[in-house]
Amino acid sequence: MTSSFPGAAGPAAGAAWHAGEDLLASYAARTAGAVADWSVETHLTGCASCRSALSAHVDAERLARNRSALLVRAAIGEGGRVRRLLRRCGVPDHVLTLLAATPSLRASWLLSVMAVVAVVALEAAALGYGWIPGGGPVAGHPGPAALAPFLLVAPLLVLAGVAAAFLPVFDPAWRLAAAAPFSGFTLLLVRAVCALAAALVPVTGVAFVLPGPGWLPVALLLPSLALSAFALASATIMDPRAAAVTTAALWALPVLWLASADVPLLIVAPAAQVACAAVLCACAVVLCLRRDRFELGWMR
Amino acid sequence: MTLNVSTAAVRVDGLSRRYGAIRALDAVDLTLERGITGLLGPNGAGKTTLLSILATISEPDTGRVSVLGLDPRDGTERLEIRRRLGYLPQELRYHRHFTVTAFLDYVAILKEITDRRRRAEEVARVLAVTGLEDRARSRIRTLSGGMRRRLGIAQALLGGPELLILDEPTAGLDPEQRLRFRELLSGLPGDPAIVLSTHQADDIAAICPQVVVLLQGRVQFAGTPAGLAGTAAGRVWAADERDSRAHLSWRGGDGRWRHIGEHCPAGAELVTPTVEDGYLLLSHAAGAR
Repeated sequence: MTSSFPGAAGPAAGAAWHAGEDLLASYAARTAGAVADWSVETHLTGCASCRSALSAHVDAERLARNRSALLVRAAIGEGGRVRRLLRRCGVPDHVLTLLAATPSLRASWLLSVMAVVAVVALEAAALGYGWIPGGGPVAGHPGPAALAPFLLVAPLLVLAGVAAAFLPVFDPAWRLAAAAPFSGFTLLLVRAVCALAAALVPVTGVAFVLPGPGWLPVALLLPSLALSAFALASATIMDPRAAAVTTAALWALPVLWLASADVPLLIVAPAAQVACAAVLCACAVVLCLRRDRFELGWMR
Repeated sequence: MTLNVSTAAVRVDGLSRRYGAIRALDAVDLTLERGITGLLGPNGAGKTTLLSILATISEPDTGRVSVLGLDPRDGTERLEIRRRLGYLPQELRYHRHFTVTAFLDYVAILKEITDRRRRAEEVARVLAVTGLEDRARSRIRTLSGGMRRRLGIAQALLGGPELLILDEPTAGLDPEQRLRFRELLSGLPGDPAIVLSTHQADDIAAICPQVVVLLQGRVQFAGTPAGLAGTAAGRVWAADERDSRAHLSWRGGDGRWRHIGEHCPAGAELVTPTVEDGYLLLSHAAGAR
């Protein structure tokens, strides 16, 4: 084979020029340098004999490994539009994979949440705006009683999303996660925060169009956060399923009681907001202090 | 079984664990050397409980555990154990939407392989080791039972663990698949320490240089498969007729009766005991107590 230099290896050099053994060896070993690499690569595209000569310098085993890895990356793919968008926004790829395995972030779950919110909101709107007989404004207020089902269900949907993000029953591979070195607490927080955000969007969005006070959408945030934090903190002390059920009951019972007294909005009144803020802070402290519980796995 | 502590993969002292009124493990003392150890016992013997404690996802009520020389009660050491561990649970469940590759990619992240390129290389490696390359894009729910078990092994091999804990890896496999599994386990790269549970005595005889028999939460035997078979020496007979005095009797494929017991049936001849004979004798003795 004719020995040559990098600058002569381009198409302009014609078929008479070929990359020499030394050059091919250094190219294969990635020691040829950028300019030589470009020249050799350009030449290789049009020269079968140099491609053949190059194969003798390539580690076949490494090549096979790289090929397999490329096939795996192709099999995994780049994900859907949402995933690509989040990646462009700087969310690490491995975090997106962890989130993809979160039940309450699956499309089926989110569609279910939206369906429930829509049904409850429609019922509240129909009663509050007087679309159906027996509804309409109550005692001078724009339908507060009609809001009771929505006030009951909305934070519970958020709680359900968070619970599904950490309860073992919703994660088929939880034993693998428990025995793996990836921080259980980090995994829990990443999933819970995203599930919380995903559920809050439809809940607060719908609250804007419901009859009732204009501050209702904002007033739902603190109770939703407090309930989710309470469920997580309780799960460090008791069985996680019992923690989720207890938390749901702690919200449902007062809402039902206030609804029976025709004052359901008191559950999101300023005094209740202060109480929710206090619960949120206390639960955050408990979570920080007892975060090691999430590293142990769920089988005590 | 007493072995050199410095080479032991697992050491357990006085380990007990209860589930309500049920005593799953009762003061278990055990030292397991590196190499393949088979944990033999019937359902409910405490195998899964012991393995889940070794895999750091469960805690004992009392007793001490050392895995690869590390104490799982200490947070830092527990993390180190998990970094060096591959675990196949008894019932490995999967997210329904996962393909084989996506599942392995997910588990690789749980094993702290967060770099995308390295993860792809590692997934490709375990796919090759377990012979699942052709099914890389298949959804897990379309795989046969044997392939799912291989996938379970593949996820356990991610990261090149020093200790593999496999809970009933051959459950649900047909004879050919079990042979393939043994071949796979025998040829694993890196020579990891392996603890596998099973209730198939022939699996133990085929691939495990060490065997532990766990019955009713207690270690009834720890030693070699030959040693386990030897516990039935002089107590296994072949005869043409059934003998009611035998602890256990069954008719073999050749039409003759195989008896395990203390008494020699009429016209019977002593036969060389197998690992299964030794195990059955121990099971009978434990049940009689």
